[in-house]
Amino acid sequence: MGIDRKELEGNRMRRRNIALTASAGIAAGALGLTSMTLPAGAQSPQLPQVSANELLASVMESDPPALSGRITVQNELGLPALPGAGEAGELLSGGEKSMRVWYDGQQRQRISMSDGSGETTVVDDGNTVWKWDSAERTVVKYPHGESSREDSGTERPEADAPADPSELAQRLVGKLRETSTVQVDGTASVAGRDAYELVLTPKPNERTKLREVRIGVGAETRIPLRVEVNANGSSDPALRAGFSELSTGEQDAELFQFTPPENAKVRTPEKPEEQGSAPSREGDSGPGDGNRPRIEGTGWDTVVLSRLPESAMRSSTGDGERSGPGAAETGGTGVRAMAERMGSPVSGSWGHGWVINTSVGSAVLTSDGRVAAGAVPQQVLIEALRDS
Amino acid sequence: MTGTASRVELPSGIRQRTSAPFGRVVSSELSWILHRPRNLLALLGLALIPVLIGTVLAITGGPSGGTGLFSAVAGNGLVLPVLALMLTQNLLLPLITAMVAADGLAGEAANGTLRGLLLAPIGRVRLVVVKALGVLLMVVLAVGVVALSGVLTGLLIVGSDGLVTLSGTTLPLGEALGRVALATAWCAVQMAAVGAVALAISATTEHSLLVLIATVGGLIVFGVLEAIPSLEWLKPIFITADWYSISDVLSDPIRWNNLVDGLWRAGCYTLVGFSAAVARMATKDT
Repeated sequence: MGIDRKELEGNRMRRRNIALTASAGIAAGALGLTSMTLPAGAQSPQLPQVSANELLASVMESDPPALSGRITVQNELGLPALPGAGEAGELLSGGEKSMRVWYDGQQRQRISMSDGSGETTVVDDGNTVWKWDSAERTVVKYPHGESSREDSGTERPEADAPADPSELAQRLVGKLRETSTVQVDGTASVAGRDAYELVLTPKPNERTKLREVRIGVGAETRIPLRVEVNANGSSDPALRAGFSELSTGEQDAELFQFTPPENAKVRTPEKPEEQGSAPSREGDSGPGDGNRPRIEGTGWDTVVLSRLPESAMRSSTGDGERSGPGAAETGGTGVRAMAERMGSPVSGSWGHGWVINTSVGSAVLTSDGRVAAGAVPQQVLIEALRDS
Repeated sequence: MTGTASRVELPSGIRQRTSAPFGRVVSSELSWILHRPRNLLALLGLALIPVLIGTVLAITGGPSGGTGLFSAVAGNGLVLPVLALMLTQNLLLPLITAMVAADGLAGEAANGTLRGLLLAPIGRVRLVVVKALGVLLMVVLAVGVVALSGVLTGLLIVGSDGLVTLSGTTLPLGEALGRVALATAWCAVQMAAVGAVALAISATTEHSLLVLIATVGGLIVFGVLEAIPSLEWLKPIFITADWYSISDVLSDPIRWNNLVDGLWRAGCYTLVGFSAAVARMATKDT
């Protein structure tokens, strides 16, 4: 009986030990799960001091190496969703997007964006740009020259920001230096790499909605790894685009080749077809200076003034005319209809139009087709319109 | 005291004989599972799903320009197994997994046979391991059946000689089958996690139905919570969070990050579920 009790006691002990071990297992599992909700707490690394000028110079000189990585774009620009703006609209709409990028260090690159269960892949093999859309199973083929011209003509830096943050940052820095305070403000860790934070702050006399632009420059590679645009009145960045994963080194050459799969539709566009980019494509059909965008002011309060081509203003007139002041007042799916839907009406001595305000800038479209836009409060745009 | 009853008469010299051979216990459990008609019917039903999808898509030609994997299947048969896994892993596979887990402990408790097992000369941790292996077998079978039927349907009915990835590249047959195998393994790991949690629930109750309800209900609740934008931060702990990422194996190169997150998450769930089942069984009175 004594032995029995002892054995029973031992049994109970053993079971309690099992239960304790098992509880530790539960705790460990729960901890592992919780750790997934926590953002990766990156420490600010200790880096040797560098002056803003040195840093800037090294950024200007450095060429992006061959790399592969993932770029995450967090967009809180507050742009209204643009129906019918296609891909550009999708890129600009709010939320977080990520895309994978590969670059061979020279000119060939590959970008791949996924939306749930479909994927868009853009491959630039040096001669041709292929754009594959898995949902439509179509391939669009751009001969090289054309597409690069289209890019450089674009007036929306945020549109091509994701494609190449290094290029965007370099462009920004060069342009903003005269009107901004440029300083190195601490360090950060971007995609596991040490980086300097280069901060551009508008000079006090600049009338802008932006508070600062922070650029994370890789300490080693001296390429911009992250761009953050901060607007006044908000502590969270309005736009943050940067690498969330990055590895440098030679890339597989196969990545930069593209062969359209069998039974996919391949087409070559004669002209870029999107409505949304109409205002920015100035050169091709503009009858003289009227349509050419004009830049008013310098630095942060730059205002871009332009005039929409007639076609954009009265596109799809067949929809029937609405009663209103002016002959151009027609319904439709054009830029104008969009502005009417999204914007709020404003009027003054300069005329009458619609204003769209976002956290980083505003845009005005007047009823006679003039457009003014910039990273400025609405008042600055209206002054520019009045003076023009 | 009853726990030691069988041991009392045995001389201490042959004590090692008091525990039943582990292999034999496992194989008896596995054959028990394989001989249950409802399990076989479930596997048969699962095998029919890819055939059904494939046939419908082959007849209708698939949605034209639709979104999702459906449009990718047309003329591209090896997408079918991945699509079938993606469709079944939301509810059907967890349901079958939970059914086996429910039979394992709760069902035995309801029949009164669990009491016998607890008294039998097999450690309680081992008992849970045996039951977990049973669930795992069923998970592997179920996932494997869906994938295999998907591959066969894809090759025979939809037809393809290779795989056009979501990135627009074309993979040869061998590599394409590798991608399907990867998706299958990944799905099996996820279902194993579901099974571990279901087993833990199964250990706490003797009502099999409760296990089904709790497991599948839990997945549905996750789905609902995921749809609430202000709970975005909580999303990483939902087992379902990355389930749609199974289609990432169809990207070229493979989009690893969500798949790896999903594995880590499934591992945590498996650990929690298995530990909870062990803890419950260890402290259970006979």
